[in-house]
Amino acid sequence: MFDLLLNAIQDIAHVQTLLFLLLGVIFGLIFGVIPGLGGTTALAILMPLTFGMTAIDAFAMSGGIMGAVAMGGAISAILLNTPGTAPNAATTLDGFPLAKQGRAAEAIGAAATASPLGGMFGVITLLMVLPVAKELILLFGPPEFFLLAVFGLVTISLSDSSNLLRGLIAAGVGLMLAFVGYDTVTGGERFTYASDYLFDGIPLVPALVGLFGVTEMIHLSITGGTVAGDAGKVRLHGVMKGVRATFKNWKVVIRGSLIGTIIGAVPGVGGTVATFIAYSTTKRSDPHPETFGTGRIEGVIAPESANNAKDSGALLPTLAFGIPGSAEMAVFLGILVLHGMQPGPMMLLNNEREIYALIIALTLSAIFSAIIGLALVRWLAMITLVRGQLLAPLVIAVSLVGTYAIDSRPGDVVIAALLGMLGYLMLRFNYPRLPLVIALVLGETAERGFLQSMMIGHDDWGIFIATPTSIIMVILILITLGWSFIPGLLKRFKNR
Amino acid sequence: MHSIIKSSTLACALILLVAAGCSGPANDSFPNRDIEIVIPYAAGGGFDTYVRALAPHMEKYLEGDFNILPINVPGAGGRRGASEVYRANPDGYTIGIFNLPGVLLPQLQGVKVNYDLADVSWLSTLSIDAYAVIVKGDSTINSIQDFKTLGRPVVYGATGPSSTSYIATTIVSEALEIPYEVITGYKGSSEYILGVIRGDVDATFANLSTVQSYIESGDVKMVALIGDESDDPAIYDASDLGIPELGNIKVVRMVGGPPGLPDEIKKTLEQAILSALADPEFKTWLEATGNDVYPAGASATAQSVGELSAFYDKFKEFVE
Repeated sequence: MFDLLLNAIQDIAHVQTLLFLLLGVIFGLIFGVIPGLGGTTALAILMPLTFGMTAIDAFAMSGGIMGAVAMGGAISAILLNTPGTAPNAATTLDGFPLAKQGRAAEAIGAAATASPLGGMFGVITLLMVLPVAKELILLFGPPEFFLLAVFGLVTISLSDSSNLLRGLIAAGVGLMLAFVGYDTVTGGERFTYASDYLFDGIPLVPALVGLFGVTEMIHLSITGGTVAGDAGKVRLHGVMKGVRATFKNWKVVIRGSLIGTIIGAVPGVGGTVATFIAYSTTKRSDPHPETFGTGRIEGVIAPESANNAKDSGALLPTLAFGIPGSAEMAVFLGILVLHGMQPGPMMLLNNEREIYALIIALTLSAIFSAIIGLALVRWLAMITLVRGQLLAPLVIAVSLVGTYAIDSRPGDVVIAALLGMLGYLMLRFNYPRLPLVIALVLGETAERGFLQSMMIGHDDWGIFIATPTSIIMVILILITLGWSFIPGLLKRFKNR
Repeated sequence: MHSIIKSSTLACALILLVAAGCSGPANDSFPNRDIEIVIPYAAGGGFDTYVRALAPHMEKYLEGDFNILPINVPGAGGRRGASEVYRANPDGYTIGIFNLPGVLLPQLQGVKVNYDLADVSWLSTLSIDAYAVIVKGDSTINSIQDFKTLGRPVVYGATGPSSTSYIATTIVSEALEIPYEVITGYKGSSEYILGVIRGDVDATFANLSTVQSYIESGDVKMVALIGDESDDPAIYDASDLGIPELGNIKVVRMVGGPPGLPDEIKKTLEQAILSALADPEFKTWLEATGNDVYPAGASATAQSVGELSAFYDKFKEFVE
């Protein structure tokens, strides 16, 4: 394995290849920062450009993009409360409160440190489990997918105990939106009103742009002023504080990276859920969970370390069976094919060299993008000083154009606008928005997993505890439920 | 750098170019501006890359100041792409990929569609993909005939109930009188292939081009080949099974333009596509990636559209 890694480093260590990697990093950062656009769009745009390149150059550039979008997305999540890409959604929870307190530089510093650390952790884990990749992927069938989705839903519903009912209502709305569209199990169309657009369901990215980007800008326009409120208290120098905080919280980094790698490997669930579970696990194991959401630096470190670790996780099903672990991986597989390779179970044997080159590129990209991010922090943090009247129209316009650019579908822009208004109402009446997003992601996986399990098991519920994996997941779900309810029950019992 | 602009819509939106900025000045000979090929799938899929690999070779066989721009119009199971081509101007600058029976089935199932395949100006066929019936690599099942002697219904995996893989499964099983169940809901071919490997289901109908590498790696084995002739006597094809008609069950990728495309433009495009399919450089790519071509001209393509429509019409009861 080491000689393979060394070969891969040699492959990448050419001036031209490194330049393509850097080009990918810059592209990835820009596409990450702009809400709506993300790694998938960046890869799809650059795909035709890879035609004239060698395969290694093409992979260096793809790796550059995939490793850098997380950093770009974290910047908009922290500064504007608008996740640049879907997995950055969890970062808004504490990142934006930090920005409001004038500590944006510190938050970005922490994100820029947590990202490459998470990325490296993910790569090391990936290299260790690669020999048993096939066996790992085969552990997850429809019953396990269902249980994993339930685990995600339980985690979000219980994440904010002070606001439990509102969180459940938000998740319920998210599930309702998730069930719009063609149902691949029964073949029926639900709530589509004969529209070809709704046939494909409510897309995640426009929903996110609406719920966070548009909502936040409406809020900013109405309240007036700037993101950071009072210009006097903004500190542009906190970067190193953020860096130090990350190293100090190394346990948070490791836990976040581990969660990111594992959940990132599950197709269809992926990054958005991984970062959120990393966030809520960190919150729950903290002695003062109630302070999360008010600007805890750990609330940035946990999701951002998970965010770069998930790319390695997503590579696992891609390499073992040619199943893309994420939308970005799907486009990347296309780039592989353009360069005369065949995705599938033989890839790990036939294209070892290119795969290791991609792994190295991903790692380097996380480091490069962090350095660029750190270098720009001071200027970026000034965004929080821009007046709302100037910032809001600009951000709304760029986000909506970005949303349209994904698939050139006018319907996407309508969804973003409508959910922006819904998001503002939720903000105004104190309903959390993230449960809605996570339910939108998980609704389909949960439903499909359940129905498929029932068909496979001929309506026998025993299928959900038939394998060691599913038993472990049931236990995890029970622990999560118990953790939230038992202390409250005990307290009530004592008071009697 | 002109190839960046190739993802034209996106680039336009991004750089905030005016829409017209993507096309060049007009003059009389065809082509004198960019030709868009509508791909009804998302970027990165198997067939998306096929068209992207083919497009530069098509450019070689056409004269004029133009590029060929593959455009992804995914959605509604391919119907969105088909509708977009159907209602475009019949000037040859918008053509598209059609997947049959994918875009044919909704019409038979009574779904409202904004196109009529009988009116499309067919240009050529690109490829035909047969269905491999596969079981797990170490399964005791060795032939599709064994499905009948399991003592229970055979369990298949497929995507949605209106998908091509599901329809292929039901028509073949009904015709051969195999008792069966279908677990629907898999997200794509690689997922139901994985379902076979994991043992969720006994068997599945998968496109040969997708499943080939899984057969090579020994994860699955083929027990029948539908839609092509089998060279291996142990693997039955439709004729061996006694119902040659079932050979119509396959995925055919065709190129077509909007109704009423002028004959001259049609001929120019047909020639360019057929020459590109025969291009030695393209052949090298095909071999490396396990892809295949099935070149057929405009009239042959229109004819097979008719034949396929008739075939599925006949088996309509299993299509609904």
